[in-house]
Amino acid sequence: MATSLVRQTKLLSIVSSQLNPAACFRNIHCTAACLKNRAARIREGKGDKSVTYEQAYHPHHIGHRKGWLSQHTSNLQGEDGAAERVVEDVFIRRFMYGTFHGCLADEVVIKRRGNLLVICAVMIQKLLPSKFYFLIGYTEELLSHFYKCPVKIEMQTVEEKVVYKYL
Amino acid sequence: MADRCILRRYISVIGCDQSVVRSDLSHHRRVHCLSEIIAQHNMKTFLTLTSFSPIQKLFSLSQESGRNAAKYFINTYPKYFQKDYAQPHIPCLMPETLEAQIEEASEAALIERIRMRKVKAAVDLYDQLLQAGTSVSLDVTNQLLDLICFCGDHDPTQENVPEQRNEETVGWSHHKTMFKIGRLFLFFPFRENNNAGRIFALLSEPNTHSYSALIRGMVKYGAYSKAFSTYTDLLNNRLKADVHTFNALIIAAPEVKEKYNEKWELIVDLLKQMAEQKVKPNLLTLNAVLKALRRCGTLGKSQAFPVISEMKALSIDPSLASYNHLLAIFYKTGAPIQGQTDILQEVMNEVSGKSFTAQDPDDGICISLQRVHELLGVGENWRLLGNDFQQSIYYARFFSLLCMMENIDVMLKWYRDLVPSVYYPSSNVMRDLLQALDTDNRLDLIPQIWKDIKQLGHANRQNLVEELLTLMAREKHNQEVQESFAECALDIKKIYDTGDRGKVLLSWTAGSLIDLISVLLAAHRRQDAWEMLKLFKTHNRVPSEELLNKFLTCVKEAGEVNQAVELVQISAGFCLPETPKLIQRVQQEFELTEQQR
Repeated sequence: MATSLVRQTKLLSIVSSQLNPAACFRNIHCTAACLKNRAARIREGKGDKSVTYEQAYHPHHIGHRKGWLSQHTSNLQGEDGAAERVVEDVFIRRFMYGTFHGCLADEVVIKRRGNLLVICAVMIQKLLPSKFYFLIGYTEELLSHFYKCPVKIEMQTVEEKVVYKYL
Repeated sequence: MADRCILRRYISVIGCDQSVVRSDLSHHRRVHCLSEIIAQHNMKTFLTLTSFSPIQKLFSLSQESGRNAAKYFINTYPKYFQKDYAQPHIPCLMPETLEAQIEEASEAALIERIRMRKVKAAVDLYDQLLQAGTSVSLDVTNQLLDLICFCGDHDPTQENVPEQRNEETVGWSHHKTMFKIGRLFLFFPFRENNNAGRIFALLSEPNTHSYSALIRGMVKYGAYSKAFSTYTDLLNNRLKADVHTFNALIIAAPEVKEKYNEKWELIVDLLKQMAEQKVKPNLLTLNAVLKALRRCGTLGKSQAFPVISEMKALSIDPSLASYNHLLAIFYKTGAPIQGQTDILQEVMNEVSGKSFTAQDPDDGICISLQRVHELLGVGENWRLLGNDFQQSIYYARFFSLLCMMENIDVMLKWYRDLVPSVYYPSSNVMRDLLQALDTDNRLDLIPQIWKDIKQLGHANRQNLVEELLTLMAREKHNQEVQESFAECALDIKKIYDTGDRGKVLLSWTAGSLIDLISVLLAAHRRQDAWEMLKLFKTHNRVPSEELLNKFLTCVKEAGEVNQAVELVQISAGFCLPETPKLIQRVQQEFELTEQQR
């Protein structure tokens, strides 16, 4: 269905360009609307919704009041592989969310050092420590075999989700 | 760059000589590949066994089991892990390929399948080859025969698959000696028309190796008389049997004859033939003879020592398994073998030694204290203790023996040494320990034991905790001991109330409540005891009269009149027969106001 849509878009753009040669090319927008001024922002509500520090500050605060959730060098000048890193990160975040279901207190931070992939997570003490260790061993092994590089998990546990404020 | 230098130093510490870097900095730098991960894991497991505390050991064991779970997934669904991102290829991070590589029917393919222990595939390929007309060399056929006879005509990898019917085989690997016989009969029917005999018949010139493989397979899987007939075939073909064949036949000898002396004669006969054919007996021969002698009853006892001296003359040192057989022959008379313990430190037979160690404590139970000391000597030989399961069996029996026989100081010394670093005792063992403490009047050690119980996770066992409470409450001890008991009791109370993460695991019984309150009273913790009394109502349990009397005495010492009256009201609430007596006591001993009266 996606390919037919693309073809239709191309057809439409060709048609529109032929119809109006001097005009700017306006193409059909086929994805869902993702407004950049609504991304990663939790809107203020009645005051009963608890948010963590990470959730409370908006994306324009990154670099000022927030750090980065994913740290790698492929965004530097002359380095490549940024897109692959992003896809890997998305997979890793979903994997962590699913494997440690309900235990994540905050977003997972992913750091790359050399070929080592370090996943830093803060967990709620929902499971017994030995169960946590089991899941850590499982995740490390599975992800190392999947991405063909050593994967380490650095985990910290808190009793409750750390609330920054209520919105 | 900096992290590569650190990586190199780290690797040099571990002891590997080459480093792996597939940096996302650039693809140009290539270094040789090394499985750093595996090196790290081995280091960690080594450290765990030697220097970690027990909790850390538990955690690293759970991490290891997580890794095994991941490995299972990786090897079961290898197609998701095939994509290779690593620039210098890292073979240890690829899923294990258990499929045979060479496809076409040739000898090399057969050899490969034999090496991978795929019995069915190998046999099929062999048949294919024969049908196609290519002759397979004798060596390869011998290897195939070896494989079949060792694995008993089924694929050995099937044992690892967690199927329901294989639960006995899993149990088998732990109790080899016990269940082996049962398992042998499981495969006995297969021997009749199986592949080994068929392939053997197809051989044009079987040599010693083929005969030996066939005979050993037969003996292993219970076809004893067939083994002997094959042996006579071998003699008819004027071939020499080798030492392995003779060992197998000696093991088979007790099975084919009925009476003791016939068995012994057969064995002697075999040994003579062995000498004629100039085959040197080895350690396994000695062990086989001793094992057979176990089945020979009284004859075995008289023959055992000469056998050993002959073997020594041939410079075969008896191993652990031989000593075990000897003990099994002799243990009924209770005469322990002298001078074993020093020799025990030496030669060890890997194959049969370990599986027999677990039998040793079994024999030890019937015998005198000196045997126990020898057991203690064996206990120091930690290398003997095969896997963890056998270890735990061993230690469980060891501890129960110690509790029964030794006095409390020796018991405690062993307890401190072994628990919890090497062995996690089960709740039965803890109960034995408590009883031993009881008999020796060392009940003041109970709080320490309670701490251990909590750490080991036995705190949710109802009967263990109740027994602990009863022991504490039974007698009156001096002041500090009572204090420590009270601390312990409060701890136990916490366990009862909140349990683990809010779940109530234990339910109060009347006895345990009474014991707890008496302990608290004895330590003069009146306030806590008072709160506990309220629990009677909430949990629908009835207090006993001595408890109320004790409480009253305690209250009288403190002089709290209100509490005394409340006490009477409580007992009235429970409709105890003691209520009138209590009322009398209160009226006599206290000065009550009009209202309270």
